[in-house]
Amino acid sequence: MPSPWRDAKQNKNATAYSYWLIIYGLQTDETTMFVLVIKRALAAIPVLWIVATLTFIMVRIVPGGPFDLDKALPPEVVKNIQAKYHLDRPLLEQYGLYMGRLIQGDLGVSYKYANRTVNDILTDAFPVSLQLGAMGLLLAVIVGIPLGTLAAINRGSWADGVCMLIATLGISVPGFVVGALLIFVFGLWLKILPVALWESAQHMILPAVTLAASPAAYLARLTRSSVLEILQKDWVRTARCKGLSWERTIIQHVLRNALVPVVTVLGPLTAILITGSFVVEYIYAIPGMGRFFITAVSNRDYDLIIGTTLVFGGLLIVTNTIVDIAYMFLDPRMKVEG
Amino acid sequence: MAVPPETTAPIDPVKESAAAPRTEHHGLWMQAWKRLQKMPGAMICFWTIVLLVVMSACSWLNVPLTEFRYDQTSTEILANPSATHLMGTDELGRDMLARIIFGARLSIAIGLVTAGIAFVIGTVYGSIAGFYGGKIDSVMMRGVDIAYALPELLVMILVGVLLEKVEIFGQPVGRGTFGILIALGLVSWMGTSRLVRAQLLQLQSEEFIDAAKAAGRGTAEIIIKHMLPNAMGPIIVALTFTVPSAILSESTLSFIGLGLSPPACSWGTLASDGWRSLRTHPHLILFPSLFIFITVLSFNLLGDGLRDALDPRTRRR
Repeated sequence: MPSPWRDAKQNKNATAYSYWLIIYGLQTDETTMFVLVIKRALAAIPVLWIVATLTFIMVRIVPGGPFDLDKALPPEVVKNIQAKYHLDRPLLEQYGLYMGRLIQGDLGVSYKYANRTVNDILTDAFPVSLQLGAMGLLLAVIVGIPLGTLAAINRGSWADGVCMLIATLGISVPGFVVGALLIFVFGLWLKILPVALWESAQHMILPAVTLAASPAAYLARLTRSSVLEILQKDWVRTARCKGLSWERTIIQHVLRNALVPVVTVLGPLTAILITGSFVVEYIYAIPGMGRFFITAVSNRDYDLIIGTTLVFGGLLIVTNTIVDIAYMFLDPRMKVEG
Repeated sequence: MAVPPETTAPIDPVKESAAAPRTEHHGLWMQAWKRLQKMPGAMICFWTIVLLVVMSACSWLNVPLTEFRYDQTSTEILANPSATHLMGTDELGRDMLARIIFGARLSIAIGLVTAGIAFVIGTVYGSIAGFYGGKIDSVMMRGVDIAYALPELLVMILVGVLLEKVEIFGQPVGRGTFGILIALGLVSWMGTSRLVRAQLLQLQSEEFIDAAKAAGRGTAEIIIKHMLPNAMGPIIVALTFTVPSAILSESTLSFIGLGLSPPACSWGTLASDGWRSLRTHPHLILFPSLFIFITVLSFNLLGDGLRDALDPRTRRR
């Protein structure tokens, strides 16, 4: 241990103490968490910069531009439009202009949705996608984890077989097939649920179920193997031997430990949900980020593409940080590296 | 593809005798194949996949599997499934079964080629990281971490659109095929490389690797002849899961209109066409979806079976 650290601790000099804590990045829970968040936030900046740069380069070399219409405009008009959005400048200058605005938090303007800035569009679309994603995640957890646990504690029985069959079907069905099936049955045949748009709670049922199908199956498979592994442990037998009921052993001892690997897949799970939201927002005509991204790519709406990509990238970084923090609480033996 | 029964991996005799009692004169692969044959579910999936691959191959080689040829005078437009048209016809009077068989061409090929790309890039990258370890390893793996942080679908869409008009050897394989292949390859090699690296790091401490090093074998020879054959089981299982996820990704991208586009034809583009007439003619989306589902399910179940067959320990647990 460095002596200034010991001095600071012994002299109860709180400021100097926490200073050393931050530098060495260990000790108390609160400090570790704080340090972790700071470190991740700092590490996110270069990652987002790389993402922005790569996307910038990619959208510019994609053939076709934002003002290619079926009916060609007169060249003078095109020239004027391009001048307005600085698209006639050299690429490096465009990049400099874009980055300069990005630092100030300005994601640029949309070329297709006239008079709307990208910030404006994303402020409208993000809450919709977040709501959809949160409902999908919640549903996936509510269905997937009990299904996997049920399968594991009845291993080899018919219940296990049924649960795993459902889970395997779930990861094998493309999202659009689930969506088409649900729309066909509940919307067109039984006519009990609306099949498009995002207005009332009823509108959210089918999209949320469609979105949850694949992650629920993924979670069920994962929970099953995790619980099976924990059931082998000596301390599960100990808990049973000291007279704890089977149900309490499962809930208090097995599940708590089995859920650690499940929590860590929240990162990949978010990626699955983002992918799913593209399809779900497309088939249910929901005005979320996925839908805007799809139309932006088709329209070559450069700034909107980069802006959406940055939000998705940021979302993944945030979830990964949350996973690391949750990891520390669930399993204090884990040392998370910043 | 699944385990070819006749290939026998070169296995160190010391290790083999430790792993399996020498009652049968079968290699590791033969034993795995024997175990797989005892799983009816996995075998059904295996033969389903063989059938689908043959169907795809016939389509590439222009072997006619149905008698239907598109005929502009066809009057049977948007016919429901019947005895003459088992899966109905589309809005131009084309037989859906014939279109699905033609779509298998690209759908299956994309799955298999992506697995191939993932295997080659992932193995080379993972071998280098896993063999050298230390600084090289941590730098290379940090690269994989960053690549993992990018949302897959975004990368696929952007790369796919970027390479939309490029064609393979001037062959008319269809719009977007090459871009989708590159995009899928780009996002799928990372998992394989992590796996190969982990396996190789583990093998580093084996005695037979020390022996090979002491005998003065070159790096490439040690990796190819002594390490990779021993890591092959988990790699093959992972590749079996890469195929269905590539098929799913391709069909999803094509469905939302950012993957393959006509004249290219895959199950994804067929489902995308069918989606528009879901209300009036559900058979147009039903059958392509069914084929995607059966293919993906077969590969997933075969992967599960292969995992159990190649590593009997996980099965007993």
